[in-house]
Amino acid sequence: MRVNPNPLPDLLSALEQAQQQINTDEQQVASGQSVNVPSDNPANAAMLVENANQTATADQYLRSLGSIQGEMQNADSALNSVVTILQRAISLGTEGANGTNNDSDRQAIASELQGIQSQLVSLANLSYQGNYVFAGTATQTAPFVLDSDSPSGVDYVGNSDSNQIAVGDNLNVQTNLPGSELFSNPSNNVFQAIQDLITSLQNGTNIASAVSELSSAYDYINTQRVFYGNAIDQLNTQQTYLNSETTQLAQQQTNLGGTNLPQAITNLESSETADQATLETISQTEQNNLFSYLSR
Amino acid sequence: MSSLNASLATALSGLQAEQGALEATTNNVANANTPGYSREVPVLETSDPVTIGSLTLGTGVTLESIESIRDPILESQIQQETQTQGQMNSLVAALQQTQTNFSSTTGDIGTAISNFFSSINQLATSPADLSLRQGVLTAADNLASAFNTVANNLTEQRTNLDDNVEQTVGQINQLTGQIAQLNGEISQAENAGGTAGTLIDQRTELIDQLSSLVDVSVIPTGNTLTLTTAAGTALVAGQQSFQLSTQANSSGEQDVYSGSTDVTPTIVSGQLGGILQARDQQIPSLQNQLDTVAAGIANAVNGVQTNGYDLNGNPTGATDANGNPQTPVYLFNPPPAAGTGAAADMSVAITDPSLIAASSDGTTGNNSNANAMYALGNQAIVNGQSPSDYYSGIVFDVGNAVSNATAEQSASNQMLQQLDDQRSSVSGVSLNEEAANMIQYQQAYAASAQVITAINDMMYDVINMTTLTT
Repeated sequence: MRVNPNPLPDLLSALEQAQQQINTDEQQVASGQSVNVPSDNPANAAMLVENANQTATADQYLRSLGSIQGEMQNADSALNSVVTILQRAISLGTEGANGTNNDSDRQAIASELQGIQSQLVSLANLSYQGNYVFAGTATQTAPFVLDSDSPSGVDYVGNSDSNQIAVGDNLNVQTNLPGSELFSNPSNNVFQAIQDLITSLQNGTNIASAVSELSSAYDYINTQRVFYGNAIDQLNTQQTYLNSETTQLAQQQTNLGGTNLPQAITNLESSETADQATLETISQTEQNNLFSYLSR
Repeated sequence: MSSLNASLATALSGLQAEQGALEATTNNVANANTPGYSREVPVLETSDPVTIGSLTLGTGVTLESIESIRDPILESQIQQETQTQGQMNSLVAALQQTQTNFSSTTGDIGTAISNFFSSINQLATSPADLSLRQGVLTAADNLASAFNTVANNLTEQRTNLDDNVEQTVGQINQLTGQIAQLNGEISQAENAGGTAGTLIDQRTELIDQLSSLVDVSVIPTGNTLTLTTAAGTALVAGQQSFQLSTQANSSGEQDVYSGSTDVTPTIVSGQLGGILQARDQQIPSLQNQLDTVAAGIANAVNGVQTNGYDLNGNPTGATDANGNPQTPVYLFNPPPAAGTGAAADMSVAITDPSLIAASSDGTTGNNSNANAMYALGNQAIVNGQSPSDYYSGIVFDVGNAVSNATAEQSASNQMLQQLDDQRSSVSGVSLNEEAANMIQYQQAYAASAQVITAINDMMYDVINMTTLTT
């Protein structure tokens, strides 16, 4: 049977293929990526797009979470100070209610309470990175202003709204409690309570009931403060979750698009062997034909 | 009774025939590496015998013809496969260039989409912060320019492919012209009783080249050929070639015409088929998908943006603070209503970061509208999918198109290689075979020459037979 007398084109195309394979393998080893263009693995390339998006989203949640974590921790520690100060105010009130005090004692206590009142205003006007934390969503103006015409001596000029932030695909957290709810709630107005106590001490009447009003305001703030504690706990939990999610996503990314180095190097070696073998074959291709033997 | 002269003539016919046969071998050896060359075989036949009385005497040998050895069925299979290969080569080359736009890099569309929505989530943490607002505008700009870049690259690629259409049509016309001319020469040679082996080889080679450019159907008619495209558009009939031409269509791209008929959609294989497939189907489909994402994002974001209040507490919708109509403050310039060109034209409408409507009630610290805008990233705002999901679908489509075309290309390459092997085993020049033939012809030639010498001696004997020796 007659065979193809010229095998060289076949061998050359085999050589081309072998060298192309070497290029591909080398690229995978060098870049560490098995999916360099979408056609390398269309399904994985598409999943890598999703993976990159999820990773970017999780990273963003972590950044946003970091931002509000700072704000909420500040708010929480401000409220901690408020609670401490109110304890002091209550003990001052109790001391003032003691019948052994004379007028000037009570005046002294009242004036200390006035100092506490202004400390409270300053704490309630806490600002974090340019935003007033207890102003509802009217964060650009100090929410509590002193007003001698007001019965409590302090007006609330913020609003009663609160913001939410997405820190997970299905997790929005409320980031603030408005000051109107914390400090100037109509039934538990802490400024009013202190103002009433001051007035009672100054007049020397109804001191005990003013102290009990203040105690109930204190209890109320203490209860409200739990919001921040809970929210911070929730943020910490979410932070842990997001960190583990980004680790998983990174692992997934490696699985989808990373080069399996031992495998890739083995591939490269076997491609190089194939290339070598083809080159050998070409060089060994029958150099002689019948004509070579005819020459005399 | 035979004569010495007749024997001499017979011996001479042997000399001539072997010499002629050696010509074929010489030509084969000379063309051993000529593409498309089919080996030639001398056809030797015994000359008509003469009958004298009861004797029938041979009169030697005739070199009847020199035949080219070819397998027409194999050749037509090769032409078919060459068309597929040409189509896949141009398609793969085009798509590989296309898919680089969709590789994941730092500036790709997928990253830009994630970054844009991230910037809005960040803004929600402090909606009055001007630097965060600026961050949203910058991310929006990056998103728009990511779309612009890819859309422009695709348009440019279509323009290049369009140039290729014209060039390829030019090449096709040149080849069909040459084939028509060869048709003439071949029929002339064959009508004159000769063989046209090498001319046919040349024509076959040209048809192969033509097959790599366009789908060709070969219909033998007498001793010429008629060539049409697979859909029946005439290319060559006998000695006449029919030129294809190009004409710009409504979108400014060249359509292929035969006479006054637009044959563009009928051309499906060969290089031209591949180019047209990339230019008219694959790339437009991607452009369309990109426009869908770009328009989907821009419209949805604008919808939320015009439903809130800017940093100064002014409404951004179609009604101002006093209830009078106003031009809405868009974040992206609204995309064309039909969507076409949305990706190429995507641009940010505002430069003042305070105009971003983060607030839903006019309070500066309110972030509800920013939250609503951020949530769009996970909502079905692009053809029933989230922007990122839809985009990953595009990446899959591109990758899959390239990977399928590449697989088809390599299958076609292998097929063609096998067919070429077969053709070569039938028609290729084997130097061993030619050397053997050469020895054979040379020996026969030498033998005939010896016979002539012997007859010459016999003649001499006859002439001297009657001479008296003195």
